[in-house]
Amino acid sequence: MQMNDSQHIPASREQVWAALNDPAVLKQCIPGCQSLDVTAPNEMTATVVFKVGPVKATFSGKVTLSDLDPPNSYRISGEGSGGVAGFAKGGAVVRLESESTDVTVLHYEVDAQIGGKLAQLGARLIDSTAKKLAGEFFASFATVVGGPATSSVEVGAREKGWLKRLTGAG
Amino acid sequence: MNDMTPTREQREAALEGMGCKRKRVEDIRFTQGKGNYVDDVKLPGMLHGDFVRSPHPHARVQKIDDSEALKVPGVLAVITAETLKTVNLAWMPTLAGDVQMVLADGKVLFQNQEVAFVVATDRYAADDGINKVIVEYEPLPPLVDPFKSMDKDAPVLREDLVGKMSGAHGPRKHDNHIFEWTVGDKELTDAAFNKAEVTIKEMISYHRTHPSPLETCQCVCSFDKIKGELTIYGTFQAPHVIRTVVALIAKLPEQKIHVIAPDIGGGFGNKVGAYPGYICAAVASIVTGKPVKWVEDRIENLTATSFARDYHMTTEIAATKDGKVTGLRVHVLADHGAFDACADPSKWPAGFFNIVTGSYDFPTAHLAVDGVYTNKAPGGVAYRCSFRVTEAAYCIERGMDILAQKLKMDPAELRLKNFIKPEQFPYHSALGWEYDSGDYHTAMRKMMETTGYAALRKEQEEKRAAFKRGETREIMGLGVSFFTEIVGAGPSKNCDILGIAMFDSCEIRMHPTGAGIARMGTKSQGQGHETTWAQIIATEIGIPADNIMVEEGNTDTAPYGLGTYGSRSTPVAGAAIAMAARKIKAKAQMIAAYKLEVHEDDLEFDIDGFRVKGLPEKFMSMKDICWAAYNSVPPGMEPGLEAVSYYDPPNMTYPFGAYLCVMDIDVDTGVYKVRRFYALDDCGTRINPMIIEGQVHGGLTEAFAIAMGQEIRYDDVGNVVTGSFMDFFMPTAVETPHWETDFTVTPSPHHPIGAKGVGESPNVGGVPAFSNAVNDAFSFLGSTHIQMPHDFWRNWKAAKELGAVA
Repeated sequence: MQMNDSQHIPASREQVWAALNDPAVLKQCIPGCQSLDVTAPNEMTATVVFKVGPVKATFSGKVTLSDLDPPNSYRISGEGSGGVAGFAKGGAVVRLESESTDVTVLHYEVDAQIGGKLAQLGARLIDSTAKKLAGEFFASFATVVGGPATSSVEVGAREKGWLKRLTGAG
Repeated sequence: MNDMTPTREQREAALEGMGCKRKRVEDIRFTQGKGNYVDDVKLPGMLHGDFVRSPHPHARVQKIDDSEALKVPGVLAVITAETLKTVNLAWMPTLAGDVQMVLADGKVLFQNQEVAFVVATDRYAADDGINKVIVEYEPLPPLVDPFKSMDKDAPVLREDLVGKMSGAHGPRKHDNHIFEWTVGDKELTDAAFNKAEVTIKEMISYHRTHPSPLETCQCVCSFDKIKGELTIYGTFQAPHVIRTVVALIAKLPEQKIHVIAPDIGGGFGNKVGAYPGYICAAVASIVTGKPVKWVEDRIENLTATSFARDYHMTTEIAATKDGKVTGLRVHVLADHGAFDACADPSKWPAGFFNIVTGSYDFPTAHLAVDGVYTNKAPGGVAYRCSFRVTEAAYCIERGMDILAQKLKMDPAELRLKNFIKPEQFPYHSALGWEYDSGDYHTAMRKMMETTGYAALRKEQEEKRAAFKRGETREIMGLGVSFFTEIVGAGPSKNCDILGIAMFDSCEIRMHPTGAGIARMGTKSQGQGHETTWAQIIATEIGIPADNIMVEEGNTDTAPYGLGTYGSRSTPVAGAAIAMAARKIKAKAQMIAAYKLEVHEDDLEFDIDGFRVKGLPEKFMSMKDICWAAYNSVPPGMEPGLEAVSYYDPPNMTYPFGAYLCVMDIDVDTGVYKVRRFYALDDCGTRINPMIIEGQVHGGLTEAFAIAMGQEIRYDDVGNVVTGSFMDFFMPTAVETPHWETDFTVTPSPHHPIGAKGVGESPNVGGVPAFSNAVNDAFSFLGSTHIQMPHDFWRNWKAAKELGAVA
């Protein structure tokens, strides 16, 4: 699965960079994150509850930051196992660009692979779930870093439930 | 005779014998929810087992930690390959001469492979236990594409076979190679191609799919420590074979193994083989001393038990300019997954694929099949077909359409030109079969006349012109298919399973009041045996079908049989029934002669009893003969009226049929509509026309599913991405088209009642009819062959690639 997108965040590049390297912020923003502990410089272990379609599982694994170029870019990669639900591995290259002194554009290119029950049951849901999770992450991230964010993709619209989309309500 | 005397017609009708549309007797319980399936079996103290499965398609198993699982309340044991090694059961033999891991031994070779078996007091506890078993894997590169199996740098899958350059079916060319099977005259065939006026060549794939019976595979194993007896209730299409396999691999005395197959909710080939679940449940029962139930869920059934097809067939036909075929050359790359667990007769690594010359008079042909390993689930069963016959029929029927297109000939005309002629039967095919009987021209012409084929072609021509003028966005396809099946495996001279000849059997026991029980070596999974078997007996011996009970599935009471699959029940067991009934009839005739005080030769059988020739009033009914068999048999004769027959067929049977599918496809959406589907089947003598029609409806629906979307698909890293009915196409009444059925009757000359088998014909003939319709629809836009399955998306993609959609 691959996903490229960008996000406008109302904060300076330095502020965004600092937050991206702050385990407390990451923990707060990663959807379903239950724990995130630093084990070594640029290495963390994390426990995340992840749900795709009918499969819900707790993933535990390792998160690594590499190719660090402060305050411009890094690569965040991880590998986790969810027991019978399967496994996931992948990473994202994150790149920051100043649009103005207090607005930063965050570009990300995600490349991920999933296996096991998640892939069997969720194949058709993976892309939309990944986008939804990314949307949730950045919405929280922007709030934590500097107030509400605006996305280049309409996260809100996608988050409408299927019933709402069908009925046009909400 | 007074008015109360029933007429001949009334007497015949009262029997409800062969040819009668007798209602299915088993439906009384099925339609009321009173069937008795394996999951209905509940024994005192019964435990439940379920599997920890691999999320990886290819990985080394480094460690299995069951300590947390054993702390889960209700979990009693976790069985791994190490446990099974203590009883020498970590691996088991397959029907194809290979071996298969029961539980992962050092490595996993496909996603969802069985790694450990958790035994608990209930299913929920077992599931909780599974979640707590921690397995450490070291992922290895997966091999998904069969065309890359024999690459120099391909990862070696079967480390147990490294260095063994010969397998069950001869030499191996690569560590991932299983067998090469060749048939036919290569030199003669190459020569035919060298001087051919016209040739075609196409790689025709028949994708991997799955039989997907609604009831998944399951069993209950119960070991009695005191008696040393093992009882296995299971969804078995071949209960006796399972008993023998268990005796051989578990080293238990065969008389102490009781295999019981109760009602089965569909088999379609999925329930022929032996699965790790059976072995693990049996071991768990022996270990715990309690009955253990194992029931697959849907994902497990689709992703781990036997798949079907996955044949990639490079097909070449040589012909003259005016459309006479002169040679056929086929190479098949067969993807068998991680273990060769095909359920074929032992000597046939590619089943009866050498029926690939189809209904046509090919002077020469050559076939080579290479079987390879990949990181996919094992299997290769005959999904509602005789062994690899659907693949062969699809191959030749697509090939003939491609040839017709190249020759600019009508595909029906091309077929008529090349059919084996009625006077050529028995016909010896270039690839070694002796076709027993057939009248192909009559069947084809009847199909063309009934459907108005010529008018449909004319309509198609007009629609194509309208499409080119931009007046419509719909294209129309006519899918012609003419298939010859080879069923009824089979003669002992060339068919066996694990060394047991593929005969079948019947035991009939008549009771004093003119009723009886027939016990069979076959096992119905929905085919209606309880109805049709009684009809054969009714006609043969003149006792109403309603008075005959049919019993199958209990290896203690049934005579040994090879089971039900490959449309073998009617050709083989149906013959055994007729032969056993004839033994009953012969003894009955002796009793009647004694009672009527005439010589046996003076008697003639008359519907429901024996009559003295020339003296119509001197008659003894079969009902009365049954009574006499228990009190006044001729001196020296043993009392009773029962018989057993083991029938070894002299040849296979060759049902055939002519199908037509009329389809409209919207190029902008890829959405198709099956406007009409006509199926003419010739299955020889028709025992119950209503059941035949039902079988044809079911087979066509499965053919429709397979051709139009049903697929077991793997992504490029080895995940099965069609693991549920969300993604695996299972048509319901909403999607299923209307079926028109028709027939001709060409009885089998060597079968006691002339019957040939029908259950699988519609799947064999249906798939090419659908696929030919799609391909025919697109052909005028410049395509030669579009691979199945033809779902909306692929149709749209084809239209786009052909420039029909911007």
